Amino acid sequence: MAYEEPITDYDKIVENCTCAFCGSNCDDLDILVKENSVVGVRHACRLGASKIMEDEDQRLKVPMMRDENGELVEVEWDTALDAAAELIANSIRPLFYGWSETNIETMKPGLELTELVGAVIDNQATICHGPTVQAVQNVGYPLMTLGEVKNRADMVVYTGSNPMNAHPRHLSRYTTYPKGWFRKRGRYDRTLVTWDPKYSDTAKLSDIWIPFEENGDYEFVNAIRAVLKGKKLTKDVIAGIPIEDIYELTEKMKNTQFGALFFGLGLTHTLSKQRNIDIAIQLIQDLNKYSKWVLLPMRGHFNVNGFNIFMSYEMGFPYGVDFCRGYPRYMIGETTTIDLLNRKEADVFLVIAADPGAHFPSGANMHLVDIPVIQIDIHWGPTTELADIVLPGTFVGVETEGTSYRMDSVPLHMKKAIDPPETCREDEWIVTELLNRVKKIKEASK
Amino acid sequence: MTYIEKPSISNVIKFDEHNVAQVDKLTVMLNTGTDIYQGACKKRGSTLKDEYRKVAGVAYMDPKDMAKLGVGNWDSVLVKSDWGAVVVYAAHSRDAPHEGMIFIPKGPWANVIVSNETYCCSDPTYKGIEATVEKSDKEVLLMADLMREVYKKYTKKAEGVN
Ligand code: SF4
Repeated sequence: MAYEEPITDYDKIVENCTCAFCGSNCDDLDILVKENSVVGVRHACRLGASKIMEDEDQRLKVPMMRDENGELVEVEWDTALDAAAELIANSIRPLFYGWSETNIETMKPGLELTELVGAVIDNQATICHGPTVQAVQNVGYPLMTLGEVKNRADMVVYTGSNPMNAHPRHLSRYTTYPKGWFRKRGRYDRTLVTWDPKYSDTAKLSDIWIPFEENGDYEFVNAIRAVLKGKKLTKDVIAGIPIEDIYELTEKMKNTQFGALFFGLGLTHTLSKQRNIDIAIQLIQDLNKYSKWVLLPMRGHFNVNGFNIFMSYEMGFPYGVDFCRGYPRYMIGETTTIDLLNRKEADVFLVIAADPGAHFPSGANMHLVDIPVIQIDIHWGPTTELADIVLPGTFVGVETEGTSYRMDSVPLHMKKAIDPPETCREDEWIVTELLNRVKKIKEASK
Repeated sequence: MTYIEKPSISNVIKFDEHNVAQVDKLTVMLNTGTDIYQGACKKRGSTLKDEYRKVAGVAYMDPKDMAKLGVGNWDSVLVKSDWGAVVVYAAHSRDAPHEGMIFIPKGPWANVIVSNETYCCSDPTYKGIEATVEKSDKEVLLMADLMREVYKKYTKKAEGVN
């Protein structure tokens, strides 16, 4: 990367903004503003910076609808909102998906709208850490905050996750590099371990790399548990790892003072799904007989955890909540987005602050071809190619303030640095407008 | 531009394995997931541009596997699975060696060939999918063209076909 001159040409610095990208929610960013546009950002990683220094060319600036040729054309806000409200009010099985890249404030009217029309509300957890949430319901959740890890942890394990690519400041801000109360020398006082079939960018920085076989995670973790329980391993090699190494690693894990295990989608996306997490949580329970161990899922979007917390608090269920019978129901594999699309059940799809076009398998997306899609987002993305009505939102964390939850469930306030483009509206306003318009239609038809 | 500039991948194909048999088709394990370049480009919003195709429409392969197929960096390859087929670029993986495994960052290209089967667990199977890789002379499609070709949501109307 070429050297770049520091940016000196700016009007003001907005300090301590919260990054609106990954679940690390770094809340120490300084945004440099000139004439109501962002000219630079300090402290963010490559990912955070790329999002804050967004691509203006692809910004959605006006509401749009398809014309008779199937082209998206600009329309008035009223026209687009009325059309969307009409679709939602007259649907039988509406599905409201997304919410992880907007603030908690938007979810409130969103939930009210869901209840009013008997829709299904779901978020990105359904395609990422859904199995984690299920496992937590099965076997519990030995949780901590990232601050504890920073001050105490002397062993940090990453598995099925590559934070150097997905949460780049996770190691440097919270877990491995910072100096902590009991870890005065920072990195030197900690052992970093990566379990990953790939020699990932995180593995390259680690002290110990355990390359178990593809899909070998379940077997490997079970082997450690067996050793912890005093059993003898009978095979020479388990999941591609020689048993001497397993004994040695188990010994190290037993003898730490404070260990933290972080796991990512590598565990939830393979065939054993939530069973992988069950076993990881049980491993932590077993380790706690010897030492203090905790674990945390590496949540992807900055507010994906927020949605799960919000829904659990309001309705008792974390995601995939179905109101079609007038009361909340939650049934994994039935009321979850991919399954609803696979079974071709949904008849209107509202997507807010998410990009199924880029992240759903096309087998599931195929159903979006047959039903109307309403999109609330800030950039023209793959989903826009499938959308019938496009409503341009504002950028939470840069143009709109709000609340979000970090991966360890700590709520953080997100600041606003600049004013949004005049023609865009805040997500909260859009969803509230939809709610009011749907209410009117429902009342008129009574 | 700094944020999405990719590190240069060396263009040397090592044919050091003389007894490596040249093959037309390679059976591999397909993994998908996030990658920092894909993440940065996607969230920045530059999905309609060539950059996105370069960071998400690419299969990172072990150099030995590429030698077996006789493809170089940024040559097109056709990746097929039980769920579909898509043309992507081939490129040397930074994480090699991992013979028999390819990595395609998540995005519209990977979506075509991953499984939408959730086994009643809400989560589709994005990793550990059997696939084949072969040489192709087709160009990798830009995001919008790919979406049109795969889903044909509005092309039907435009062409007057039902
Ligand atoms: S680590 Fe995550 S939250 Fe922190 S700056 Fe990078 S993208 Fe933003």
